[in-house]
Amino acid sequence: MPDWQELVRRRLSGLALDASEKEEVHAELAAHLEESYGMLCRNGLPEKEAAERTMEQVSDWRDLQAKILIARRGEFMRKRAQQLWIPGFLAFILSTFFLMTLPKILGAHPRTVESVAGTILFDVPWLAALPFIGALGAYLSSRAGAARTIVLLASVFPVLALAAALMLMFPIAMIVDPIIGNHVDFRNVATELLKVGTSWFFVPGAALLTGGLVVSLFFGLRSSQQTRWLDSEAKDA
Amino acid sequence: MIGAGIKRGTAELAVLSVLQEGPLHGYELARRIEQQTNGALRFTLAALYPMLYRMEQQRWIRGSWETSANGRKRRCYRLTPAGKKKLTPLRREWEELFGALQRLTKAAHA
Repeated sequence: MPDWQELVRRRLSGLALDASEKEEVHAELAAHLEESYGMLCRNGLPEKEAAERTMEQVSDWRDLQAKILIARRGEFMRKRAQQLWIPGFLAFILSTFFLMTLPKILGAHPRTVESVAGTILFDVPWLAALPFIGALGAYLSSRAGAARTIVLLASVFPVLALAAALMLMFPIAMIVDPIIGNHVDFRNVATELLKVGTSWFFVPGAALLTGGLVVSLFFGLRSSQQTRWLDSEAKDA
Repeated sequence: MIGAGIKRGTAELAVLSVLQEGPLHGYELARRIEQQTNGALRFTLAALYPMLYRMEQQRWIRGSWETSANGRKRRCYRLTPAGKKKLTPLRREWEELFGALQRLTKAAHA
């Protein structure tokens, strides 16, 4: 009897999945082939012919490998793009656009607020637009069928992107500044972080989240009503 | 020629309908479909597993490893509540489609 496990492992060696997941797929397909082969043998076919007939089930192993990969990963990636990346990036682009244009259009200057950490700047027109941008991100994410956590992540995506950029820039600046001769006062780092965090992340994040929460609550309410309706339809059927 | 969408739809309906009767592993599932459709629907390994994995990703079915009485490990698939919910409208859609086609062919014969 052919070693089906070894055969599948060899033919699907390029399957780009986690080791355990790959092993699972190999074992499952090998079990299927073994079962087919066993059935053909029990039906009276000689071993060689039974093995050939079993192998006919897969005409193109590379094609099967690609199909399995798409089925296992593609759907997840497609959904993730529709539910998080596209709404999130759209919200990010819109928030950047408004940040650059709204103060110019309205002629408004950033508002300063004195705090223990020093002066913190707030761009009021931009902050006022953020709940709507957060709501748009959340709406697109909800429409793509995302869970509530993903919906809220899509709504606050602009500040997450900013935070990621800052986290990347900050350590680089700490290294580069002393090299180019700028004096870095490490005692001020925490204060600066607090100021930047408040004006660019915490307050804008709260504004975005407000819009996201409203949409999320609305969609949550609607989907629970739809589920109840579907349940009653299923019972009637 | 039957379109890919129709083929996929019939195949999904077949899998969900058979799994509604109880959990089955891939080979047995394909055999059961072939038997119940008098050989009209046949699944090769290459057609069956990508579809099962896709349906699993959509959470219509769930696969789990089980050991049979003879000690063999098999991945058994069962219908999830989402799969049951999917089956009702899917069945209705196909009944409507076949009903419409039947009426059409009868009218053409008359």
